[in-house]
Amino acid sequence: MALTTAPDPTRRGPGSARAHASRRGPGRFRHSEGLAGYVFLSPWLIGLMGVTAVPMLLSLYLSFTNYDILTPFSEVQWVGLANYERMFTADPSYWHAVRVTVTFALIAVPLKLAAALGVALLLNRAWRGVGLFRGLFYLPSLLGGSVALAIVWVNMFNRDGAFNSLLSLFGITGKPWVNDPDWALETLMVLAIWQFGAPMVIFLAGLKQVPTELYEAASVDGAGRLRQFRNVTLPMLSPVIFFNLVLETINGFQGFTAAFVLSNGTGGPVDSTLMYTLNLYITGFTDLEMGYASAMAWVFLLAIAVITAVFFSTGRFWVHYSDGEER
Amino acid sequence: MHPATPPTTDAPDGRAHRTPLPRRRLLRGLLAVTVAAPLMFGAAACGDDGTAADPNAPVKLSIFWWGGDARAKLTEDALALYTKKHPNVTFEKTWQANQGYFDKLATLTAGGNPPDLFQIDDNYLAEYAARNTTLDLTSYQESGKLDTSKFPKSLWQYGVVDGKLAGLAAGENTQGLVYNKTLLTKHNLPEPTTGMSWEEHIAWAEQVTAKTKVPGTQDPSADYKALWVWLRQQGKDLYRGKELGFTAEDVTRWFELWKGARDRKATPTADVIHEGNSSDVTKQLVVTGKSATSWVWANQMPDLKKNTKDELGVIAYPGDPSAQWARASMYWSVFKGSKHKDVAVDVINFLNNDVEAVKLLGTDRGLPSNLDLRRVVSDDTTDPAMKQSIAVEAELTQKFGESPQVPIKGHSKVKSELIKAAENAQYGRATPAEAATQFVEACTSAIA
Repeated sequence: MALTTAPDPTRRGPGSARAHASRRGPGRFRHSEGLAGYVFLSPWLIGLMGVTAVPMLLSLYLSFTNYDILTPFSEVQWVGLANYERMFTADPSYWHAVRVTVTFALIAVPLKLAAALGVALLLNRAWRGVGLFRGLFYLPSLLGGSVALAIVWVNMFNRDGAFNSLLSLFGITGKPWVNDPDWALETLMVLAIWQFGAPMVIFLAGLKQVPTELYEAASVDGAGRLRQFRNVTLPMLSPVIFFNLVLETINGFQGFTAAFVLSNGTGGPVDSTLMYTLNLYITGFTDLEMGYASAMAWVFLLAIAVITAVFFSTGRFWVHYSDGEER
Repeated sequence: MHPATPPTTDAPDGRAHRTPLPRRRLLRGLLAVTVAAPLMFGAAACGDDGTAADPNAPVKLSIFWWGGDARAKLTEDALALYTKKHPNVTFEKTWQANQGYFDKLATLTAGGNPPDLFQIDDNYLAEYAARNTTLDLTSYQESGKLDTSKFPKSLWQYGVVDGKLAGLAAGENTQGLVYNKTLLTKHNLPEPTTGMSWEEHIAWAEQVTAKTKVPGTQDPSADYKALWVWLRQQGKDLYRGKELGFTAEDVTRWFELWKGARDRKATPTADVIHEGNSSDVTKQLVVTGKSATSWVWANQMPDLKKNTKDELGVIAYPGDPSAQWARASMYWSVFKGSKHKDVAVDVINFLNNDVEAVKLLGTDRGLPSNLDLRRVVSDDTTDPAMKQSIAVEAELTQKFGESPQVPIKGHSKVKSELIKAAENAQYGRATPAEAATQFVEACTSAIA
């Protein structure tokens, strides 16, 4: 309220003080502008510090302790690298979770991107009602992390679920997909692939950017559809593919909700859906080993950073930017 | 803002014409509030321990429990009754479903904001007690402020962790084998009875499967409470002090017992068993119709009944029923750092020993711990399912053995490792011996 008016010339509110400052010279002006900038930024800055930065650093500290979440901070004991050592050398379920997660990401992410690109190509035509189809295909990913969707999935892929009823129409006896340790993870992959809407929309946007002249020129040169796709669409789309690949890989590694719901929070049957983040959650909250879970979280962060860095370093061999500049 | 407010507020117009005084006063007032508010809250926080000096000082007690709507209603009514009798005490009530309850309780505790009074079960009591989170109620028990004189001794003792009374039983229950009466009657099959041996039970289940096409019994090899009862019948236990009370050989025999049962088709297939391994009442095979029996806690009968139209019966687990005990279905514990310890303990005492409160709460948290009041409540109850489980519990009470020690720190991990190992054997991914060895190894590191 003090900023709005300055009723008494002898008593200047901050507002009038700033007005004066701005008259004194460009340096002061910029300084006070900067200050105002920070003031306006402050809610976000406080949020960043309070909700992200400080807890992150705290968790880094806790990863070197035996913190169990119930004991006050002041009483936690420094255990050095013990948590990391245990993770790498003495915890079979940790490595099991790593294997599950990597398997999931290696299979689900490429298939999801392929599905997204395939459908985007189909929906890139000017059909009647194509907008409706775009919306319908996008819908599953809007429901993305939702618990409801995972519950629907569990019921669809039960032994007596809708999917097996469908199979039985063709005389096929189904499996208890979600309750079979050999198939539970695959069922999760299908769920992830089915939610290809978000990358699809980005692919669609990318496809719209490809100049039609290129296709015209290619067809004049006698290139068929396949050739056009390989030599025009893919290179022109490569930045978008790259973007989706990085994003979806990170998403894939972080898969949690579906696995949690499908297995009732246990990663079962027989640990077949024990994704990394689920294992981390169980370690922290069920087994009350938050220090160890923090260590897992930091290794996870580093692993994702490394994977992303690898993508970026290989990207220069296959990502083409239309302005000809290699990045 | 409001027309009636004096013109000291920040009305946008005309302020320039006014003297600076009101504005200055406003600013000063704001400053005063900013400075004083924390002081006031701080003072309030400090003053709380004064309840000992002034019994009528207002107290707001936070209380947290898990359960459904029905439990919430009963608990709220009982707490309202307490407030009626002690007008200075009001409650800040929080409750939620079982799923996620302990995550939240741990998070609240970690955030330095745990409830004064909370519900807890034997899966976590030792975890919390070992970390010095729960108040030792022994001195209150000794002074009579927490009256356990009418409790079965083994029941309150089942709240003792490392010599400290970490929680007081909110009710009593025991292991219950629930079976589908309707199904058995329809096929002219005999009902199972308490005292049948495990072999007899499996033979009976085999017969049920053959006649009804519904698998006779849910394979409980992943169920820690079934393993526990079975171990006690072998003279072993789940825990002995800070160690496991059994060996890999014991578990091998347990897994082999059930492998035999599966091979004889006395149980459903592994994937169906897996569904039933969930702690969710609605997924118990006896109510989903996928098995004729389920291995549960006897006080879950009314909840199970809600999920099926069939008539249900409940008996003890197979073998000698003296292996079972008066188990605290759940406890009330007080946070050690609570500012209202005395009041919180008094509330626990009230919920367990006040006749009106106990009548209100009924058997929702298990049979009332106070034996005199248990009689009152069981005479009062009209719910047939509850009548049944009271009858069974009353019958078993005569046969109950000594309570075991409360599960130790690391128990939650032991439970999940048992499920993993048993399922490994059920799905045929490991032999019973391999699964048992793996289980014992995992447990040893979990409780280390």
